[in-house]
Amino acid sequence: MNVLEVDGLSLRYATSRGPLLALDDVSFAVPAGGALGLVGESGSGKSSVILALLGLLGAGADISARALVFQGQSLIGAPIPRGDRIGVVFQDAGAALNPALRVGLQIAEPLMTHRRLPREAAIERAIALLGEVGVRRPREIAAAYPHQLSGGMKQRALIAMALSCEPELLLLDEPTTALDVTIEAQILDLVEDLRVRRGLSLLLVSHNLGVVERVCDDLAVLYAGRIVERGSSERVFRTPSHPYTKGLLGAIPRIEHGLRRLVPIPGGLPDLTQPIHGCNFASRCPFMVSACATPQMLFDLGERHAVRCHRAQALSDAAWPSEEAAHEPRLRAGPPVLEADEVSKTFLLGGLLSRLSLARGWPRLEPPREIRAVDRVSIVAARGEVVGIVGESGSGKSTLARLLLRLIRADRGHLRYVGREVPDLPGPEFRRRAQIVFQNPDSSLNPRKRVREIIARPLSLFGGLRGPALDQRIDALLDLVRLSPAYRDRYPHQLSGGEKQRVSIARAMASEPDLLVCDEAVSALDVSVQAAILNLFADLRDRVGVTYLFISHDLSVIAHLADRVVVMYGGAVMESGGIEEVLKPPYHPYTEALLSAVPVVGARERAQHRIRLPMEAPEPGQGCRFAPRCPRRVGTICDDVEPPVHEPAAGHRIACHIPLDQLERMEPALLRPGPGSEPRSRPTG
Amino acid sequence: MSIAVASPGRRLPANLTIGATLVALFIVLALLGPLIAPYPFDQFNVRERLSAPNLAHWLGTDEFGRDVLSRILAGAPYSLLMGFGASAISLALGVPLGLVAAYYRGIGGELIMRGVDVMISVPPILLGLLILAITEPSLWKTIVAVGLVYVPIMTRVTRSVALGLLGEEFVEAGRARGESAFYILFGEILPNAWPPIIVETSLRVTFAILLGSALSFLGLGAQPPMSEWGLMIAESRPFIEQAPWIGLAPGVVLCILLISVNLLGEGLREALDPTFSARYGK
Repeated sequence: MNVLEVDGLSLRYATSRGPLLALDDVSFAVPAGGALGLVGESGSGKSSVILALLGLLGAGADISARALVFQGQSLIGAPIPRGDRIGVVFQDAGAALNPALRVGLQIAEPLMTHRRLPREAAIERAIALLGEVGVRRPREIAAAYPHQLSGGMKQRALIAMALSCEPELLLLDEPTTALDVTIEAQILDLVEDLRVRRGLSLLLVSHNLGVVERVCDDLAVLYAGRIVERGSSERVFRTPSHPYTKGLLGAIPRIEHGLRRLVPIPGGLPDLTQPIHGCNFASRCPFMVSACATPQMLFDLGERHAVRCHRAQALSDAAWPSEEAAHEPRLRAGPPVLEADEVSKTFLLGGLLSRLSLARGWPRLEPPREIRAVDRVSIVAARGEVVGIVGESGSGKSTLARLLLRLIRADRGHLRYVGREVPDLPGPEFRRRAQIVFQNPDSSLNPRKRVREIIARPLSLFGGLRGPALDQRIDALLDLVRLSPAYRDRYPHQLSGGEKQRVSIARAMASEPDLLVCDEAVSALDVSVQAAILNLFADLRDRVGVTYLFISHDLSVIAHLADRVVVMYGGAVMESGGIEEVLKPPYHPYTEALLSAVPVVGARERAQHRIRLPMEAPEPGQGCRFAPRCPRRVGTICDDVEPPVHEPAAGHRIACHIPLDQLERMEPALLRPGPGSEPRSRPTG
Repeated sequence: MSIAVASPGRRLPANLTIGATLVALFIVLALLGPLIAPYPFDQFNVRERLSAPNLAHWLGTDEFGRDVLSRILAGAPYSLLMGFGASAISLALGVPLGLVAAYYRGIGGELIMRGVDVMISVPPILLGLLILAITEPSLWKTIVAVGLVYVPIMTRVTRSVALGLLGEEFVEAGRARGESAFYILFGEILPNAWPPIIVETSLRVTFAILLGSALSFLGLGAQPPMSEWGLMIAESRPFIEQAPWIGLAPGVVLCILLISVNLLGEGLREALDPTFSARYGK
């Protein structure tokens, strides 16, 4: 018995260039109590599926389907029981809650609309629901406004709202994308738990294969509006059969794979306003043959595993071709390029007026509230070395990046560049040699300037180049980031996300820097594009010998590229050392928690091993910043006394009160996936 | 998603073409006014006073028998100067002030914005009166006064746009190159800040003509018997029932000018925006 059956769902959007076929004959079913994952990159149409099911698409959308059946009843032409028997959790919890209403009331609203409960009873029910989704002190949280809650808490409130009318089906649209890994892990725990406890059926939409694998039994891979592969998630991950699925799995940086080179998928999505008769992935597929231009059917490989590729069986053993061999061993440990010594930054909150206090008779100025964004961080980066800085939101890693480039003034500490002290207002020489690549491709290029002007500016500013010499350098830089000279005259809006990021990198490389700070430089990109940019960074390091400070919240990305890692929490360094040392015990307890939370493709059995951090914690005291959330907290000493630094190996430093021999006895948090989960190298049977 | 390829020779937006043509027409008429006017603008003709539009006087005559069409043509230079001159002054002062106020958010920016607040809190007519009362009234001073009155609005618009843009990563990339505040403000921010500024300016042109007329009406701008559209409308008031054409004709002309200026502004905004054709098709 299926809770939801979708058969032949097609969706057209009207655009100025004609109708755009966003979904093409999409069929899937969610069994009762089952969980289906819908996987795809941006533009695949995965969110359109959710919106179409809920009837939330605007007037410009033209939906057709052979059948949309929910619990035996057709949804076509009938009122859709959204928010009632179908619960929804949207991606951005911050935007999905109304900032002007109390959280409890918002959870109670569906009960008042659909169940006609009186307000008080509905709010009581909302409080019980908050308790059920793991919120401690639910009564207080129900009375709070959304801005008073953390991201994970908001997501829990949204899930409580979706559950309020006892739905049979829960739709989750990228439910954890905006969250830190440790919080993401808790939300996924909750979803799994609810599914078992309430017998819920789930439809989970995500670009993150690790998340889908953890939660879902079945999985459908969506590419450019078509389902290209469908089957049990175990089977699809073990024997991916569509070239796109193979490519996607090869493009993910995996923490356990270390510095292995990633395999990007070349090209971009096809133009969906043009009819595509054959395979829609053919233009990007390395296995393309002439027969791919004929219409492709989803054909059954047995065991409910279906794939839309006529060569699937012929290619069952074929791996996605790697564009180049593995890295050559590089020269490491050159002289230090950048040395930061106990750099600190404290932000003061509140203007003069907000600090003015009239309590106790006389007006006086309260001291400003302080936020210790970066607290005595020391970092050394040698020539040609990649130093990864990892931490969750609020760890101070972006502030640190700006301190190290002297974009904001440090309160304390020293910064040396090639042995020389960098003043607070550095001269052009430091500016030339230390550059930065930003996170957001849409914001990092001036929309009013052509690619040529964007890259030319640093060249004329630092090199004084003009005329044909300038043009030559621009072409050379475009070539360095693998863009053809045809891109010179384009505006940023004419580029894809990956191309924009390449132009950003070319601009940063234009002044021939020795040090490149990458602040979440690949976080906003799709997996297949991210792989190409990560490979580009690796090439630049090997060919040009640039030193990187690579900042990311994603430990897998860091593990893929970095020689050394700095783990930050609450503005302070918890642990630092070589990547191999940091990824295995002895750990700092925070590193351990971080590692155990990373969703790893092909490692479902890690479930027993998870460490969960409390969501809410009191402000840290004078001691360890992590103490209030630490699962291995020793006692009040952690709150009050600054932790000593252990050095289990040269260059590997752990700041913790737990004795080193105890840390050494920790179990590894990062299990290598079992032999069955090596999809590309191991033919299976 | 497909990537639009840069199109060589983008077509100009239609409203830019129409707006620019009409505004150009106004300027030509203003320049040629004395040559093509059928009568001298200040010639009295008591016998034909308040006559309705006819073949001899296309737009009729006023209470002194002066030809309305000739007076409109004679007034055109003053009205155009008032509109464009005053807007140019508010643009030239307000935009840099707004940019600077956004960039230096500390004491400098605070001083500029509080000064702007003080200026905004005084009614524009009063401010104009104040400036003109200190000195002898003349058309040039009216233009300057009206221009100054609109500086605070320009400053505010520019500052709010610039504040949003200063948080963009391309600005931070500029800082990381050690670019000067001048380059960041005028090289990176201003090209992106134009659209709202242009829209605001095209509104200001029309308001400036109307405010200039109001000041003329109070006897502080163009002096009778000099002709000016606002003055004409003001003077027609007692005859609005008897001879509505005296006020209606300059009113309609003013209206057409305002629409042309707005079309021009809208068109400029589209033409300057490289993403426009991609977003709205062609």
